[in-house]
Amino acid sequence: MKALVYNGPRDVSVNEVPDATIERPTDVLVKISSTNICGSDLHMYEGRTGMQAGRILGHENMGEVIEVGAAVDRVKVGDRVCLPFNIGCGFCANCEKGLSGFCLTCNPGMAGAAYGFAGMGPYSGGQAEYLRVPYGDYNCLILPRGSEEKENDYVMLSDIFPTGYHATELAGVQPGETVVIYGAGPVGLMAAYSAIIRGAALVMVVDNHKDRLALATKIGAVAIDDTEGMGIEQVMELTGGVGADRGCECVGYQCCNMHREEVPNLTMNNLVATVKATGRIGVVGVFIPEDPGSKDALQKRGQMAFDFGQFWVKGQSIGTGQANVKAYNRFLSRLIEKDKVKPSWIVSHELPLEQAPEAYKKFDARKEGWTKVVLKPGMKK
Amino acid sequence: MPNPTPPAYEDVLLLLDADHKLVKKMFIEYAGLVEDDAPAAAKQQLALKICQDITVHSQIEEEIFYPAVREAIGDDGLIDHAEEEHAHAKEKIAEIQRMSADDKGMDDAVKELATMIDEHVMEELEKMFLQAQYSDLDLRGMVPQLVARKKQLQAQGGKMKEPTKKATTRNQVAA
Repeated sequence: MKALVYNGPRDVSVNEVPDATIERPTDVLVKISSTNICGSDLHMYEGRTGMQAGRILGHENMGEVIEVGAAVDRVKVGDRVCLPFNIGCGFCANCEKGLSGFCLTCNPGMAGAAYGFAGMGPYSGGQAEYLRVPYGDYNCLILPRGSEEKENDYVMLSDIFPTGYHATELAGVQPGETVVIYGAGPVGLMAAYSAIIRGAALVMVVDNHKDRLALATKIGAVAIDDTEGMGIEQVMELTGGVGADRGCECVGYQCCNMHREEVPNLTMNNLVATVKATGRIGVVGVFIPEDPGSKDALQKRGQMAFDFGQFWVKGQSIGTGQANVKAYNRFLSRLIEKDKVKPSWIVSHELPLEQAPEAYKKFDARKEGWTKVVLKPGMKK
Repeated sequence: MPNPTPPAYEDVLLLLDADHKLVKKMFIEYAGLVEDDAPAAAKQQLALKICQDITVHSQIEEEIFYPAVREAIGDDGLIDHAEEEHAHAKEKIAEIQRMSADDKGMDDAVKELATMIDEHVMEELEKMFLQAQYSDLDLRGMVPQLVARKKQLQAQGGKMKEPTKKATTRNQVAA
């Protein structure tokens, strides 16, 4: 089969590789119809993780089931399914509680497993023609009839829509509240979308990319351009000097200042400044325990200079970590089915798999207009 | 007298991986000391503690866990490879243990050991642990034996290849 393979920093190619197969009786084999490039793929693309050469990337996957293992009951050949980026077993102490992103058995020793992801188990990614899905009965979200017409909406259930929603859940967003979101990338935009779905009175999105901020205004959020370093002042003005009720971090450790220099503590400390006293902050942006490639001495050892004194004085609280997709994907899927939401508004490009290397290059360079790429392995060049 | 508390580890994978995580934390700490230009003695103390912990950990794996996994999954190549990696790590550990505190090669040697262990642990988790989990190996039942042996080795200050000068001397680094 054809698959997008990581060869080394900023070097990916579409290669002929051995077909994905059923390896265990609980597996399901999926023919991929859509698979997105995610911002977290870029951490690997840039060589900033322990990703090994030769592995297939891609953790935002959906497609059609073409084979099921002998121990699979619920999922049937022909089902159209969306796969959470997390791989869970369904029976460990964390999966039992719905914390599927922190499965204890699929990636022994580590917090959680995923497809094609550094440090998250040996599982191949789905930027390929076929994908092996472990514990298929647990991990497949079976899509409703008519899902074909909303392919680009449903594929967002694999990661960024639930991840954006998770940011608002961690932050505890309630109807009528004000929310400040750092990052207008796909996850930040999905967090803004989720905050609006949850009934927030005012949603502010802070970034310094004008094309992305423009997308935020399309769904009724207020765009705050931090290019001049005036983000904090604008949020305080919009919230009458008290700060937002809730804050979301949707950028992660490679966050940059207005000069495009990485400042790992920038968004976290800006959130402490712009969220009100007793407010809550949800952090879904990726932070890592060590980062030898960083220029920042603290970041190298996974630390940051955090405004903890201010955080404490303000009595704020914080929630962190990757999204447990299974906790949200079913009800978010109903909202898509009943036309209440349309997360595909974020898609900027639909491309055949063969064009993935070029798409990575453009997305990594933050080329204007490249917000979200959906790869279609079945699409003709 | 009540019976001693049974070990809390649910299974042997959690026990072994708890070691991995502690060692990883010490390696990151060591890199921080280098970055901060810390005194040589402080670095050496941490380096020896790392060596000591890895030695005990590898030994319980080689004595108990690896042979059991080898039998359960029947993949000799996988276990042979892990044992080779242990052997390489042991050479590096011996090198570090021979060094004086101000040895110029200390930082590089620790960094090399960190890389070796990182790669070894990743393979162990992604290949051996998963396979062990899928096999009929009694991962829960093995815990008391491994814990007992670990405690014994820690009390001995790790069983070194070279005979220790005084059998009664306890290495305080292990404390």
